Amino acid sequence: MASVELTQITKSFGALDVIRGLDLKVEDGSFCALLGPSGCGKSTLLRMIAGLETVTGGSVRIGDRDVTQAEPKSRGVAMVFQSYALYPHLTVADNIAFSLSLAGAPKAQQKASVARVAQMLQLEPLLERRPAQLSGGQRQRVAIGRALVRDPEVFLFDEPLSNLDALLRVQMRLELARLHNDLKSTMIYVTHDQVEAMTLADRIVVLDRGVIRQVGAPWELYNRPANRFVAGFIGSPAMNFLKGQACQVADGLQVTLQGGVQILLPARAMTAFDGARAVELGIRPEHLRITTVDGAQIAGRASVVEYLGNTSYAYVDTPQGTLIVEADDQNRLHPGDAVGLSLSGQAAHVFDETGAAWPALAT
Amino acid sequence: MTAEPQANQTTTLGYMRRSPAGVVLTLLTVMAAALWFFPIYWAVITSLRSDEDTVTDFGLLPADPTLKSYIFDIVHSELPIWYLNSTLTAVGVTVAVVAMSACTGYAISQLRFPGRMLLWGTILASFMVPVTALMVNHFIIMADVGLLNTHLGIILPMLLHPVTVIVYKQFFDGLPKEFREAAVMDGATELQVFTRVFLPMNWGVTTALAIITFIGAWNAFLWPFLVAQDEKMMTVTVGIAAVQDAFGVAYGRVLAGAVLGSLPVALAYLLFQRRVTQAIALSAGIKG
Repeated sequence: MASVELTQITKSFGALDVIRGLDLKVEDGSFCALLGPSGCGKSTLLRMIAGLETVTGGSVRIGDRDVTQAEPKSRGVAMVFQSYALYPHLTVADNIAFSLSLAGAPKAQQKASVARVAQMLQLEPLLERRPAQLSGGQRQRVAIGRALVRDPEVFLFDEPLSNLDALLRVQMRLELARLHNDLKSTMIYVTHDQVEAMTLADRIVVLDRGVIRQVGAPWELYNRPANRFVAGFIGSPAMNFLKGQACQVADGLQVTLQGGVQILLPARAMTAFDGARAVELGIRPEHLRITTVDGAQIAGRASVVEYLGNTSYAYVDTPQGTLIVEADDQNRLHPGDAVGLSLSGQAAHVFDETGAAWPALAT
Repeated sequence: MTAEPQANQTTTLGYMRRSPAGVVLTLLTVMAAALWFFPIYWAVITSLRSDEDTVTDFGLLPADPTLKSYIFDIVHSELPIWYLNSTLTAVGVTVAVVAMSACTGYAISQLRFPGRMLLWGTILASFMVPVTALMVNHFIIMADVGLLNTHLGIILPMLLHPVTVIVYKQFFDGLPKEFREAAVMDGATELQVFTRVFLPMNWGVTTALAIITFIGAWNAFLWPFLVAQDEKMMTVTVGIAAVQDAFGVAYGRVLAGAVLGSLPVALAYLLFQRRVTQAIALSAGIKG
């Protein structure tokens, strides 16, 4: 086990800067998810840690060693690829033992290591099969086994579940969580799926265009997003954003939305200002309440209703734009229904013109 | 659910077989095949006739089959040595071409080194020069280095095989880069990535290319004919052509030699039909 420390790391492909001066420390034994939209640089960052991609600037430390220029094999890391990259001409046992075989380990040791890993991942009945004879989940387990057999200090996962169907993904997620609990190894996990990141990681790094937008625990990212990007990226369905003008009042912050709706919010930690400032109010679908149309803060009409079984989400067209609201069984909506909405000021997030959040003082 | 389309397919094929157009098409195909096969058949049955019968017996089956022509060829010509020469040169060319092409294809596809594109361009450009145009140069070079009438002299100029390099490069290009990266992460050196991951994943292509290269090398005539002037250094194809005059009008002996000469290639075709087809398909788009 080892920590991973990136200092002022940069990566450019010609004139294109993919990673821009990034600092990150992944603690020893933690499960860190690199989360972001496609093209944000998360896979590049992982490949730089693995040594598969050269570093344009900055340094990579694994444990107490500077590995910036080290070969991948001497970094003490193992990687699980999105496509599994199992060697099709080798059996499961040979795939798992491949790194040991390359290192010249005795056959008996290879066999023992394969048996240990196979038992851990319930691969014993599959050892003589070839990758083509395995299901997606089994292949994934073999790929993990191939990483596991090397006893690495750091595990790197590059979107390992994205090729699996939804049900299998949930199952493999559990297995990965269990594996981390058992091994207590440092794991860095790249994903664009926030559910994977939220459920697996103890720390999430949200990346956007090569820079870190926020690092924190899943709870923190969901409830205290540092900026509009993180607020919009974390959470499904996404947070609602409402444009408005904020002014300071005696007991907090008053935001006047388009259409004249006024909402009083608790005091915020930001520099005092005079007059009104343009802000965006962020509110999650579960924090919007469905009320009667008469006297509602915001009135609109449901255009689409998504029924998910345990809950449903309605897309309500309002003068402030389309708002997503969670509707439980008591408030079942249908497309075309007139809907009244009220906002809870306590749960609202405020973002200024730069997109930075004004965190509430009370929380 | 899956049985239904199968049933439909069978019905469709059955209908095609029974249709007049299908019958005509089948008859035409059979006639074309018979037309193509008849000279081979005639060569085989003529080789099984005695010298007298070859000019008197024109039946579809030899009236008095005999192996005299074959025995005569084997005893009174250098055929066993020509066989050995053909085997040595064809195997040599095959091994060297496949090994070099695999390495070159891998290097151009997977490695980044100065002059990579120049090398690739040179290989592509080599298509523009027909091998026959280089024969005089090759002959002079071989004569200068004293390799005329040697196996090496026959083999070396036959190693110019850009098609196999291109096929390998295309194949390696098509492999996901994750295989290479996974091997690197597992601690493989460049040579190990090539020999333990890329090549074994590729045995089908390698086998197919090896067979087609072997057949080409075995059937080669012009270059071995130029460079192997000594009867003891001739290959089967050259030897048979050279002794036709010596046999005079003994058609049975000439055709027996031809049958013996083409036997390994025919066997290779029969045994590795699927691989040969695959190799032809692999290189078809390139050869044009």
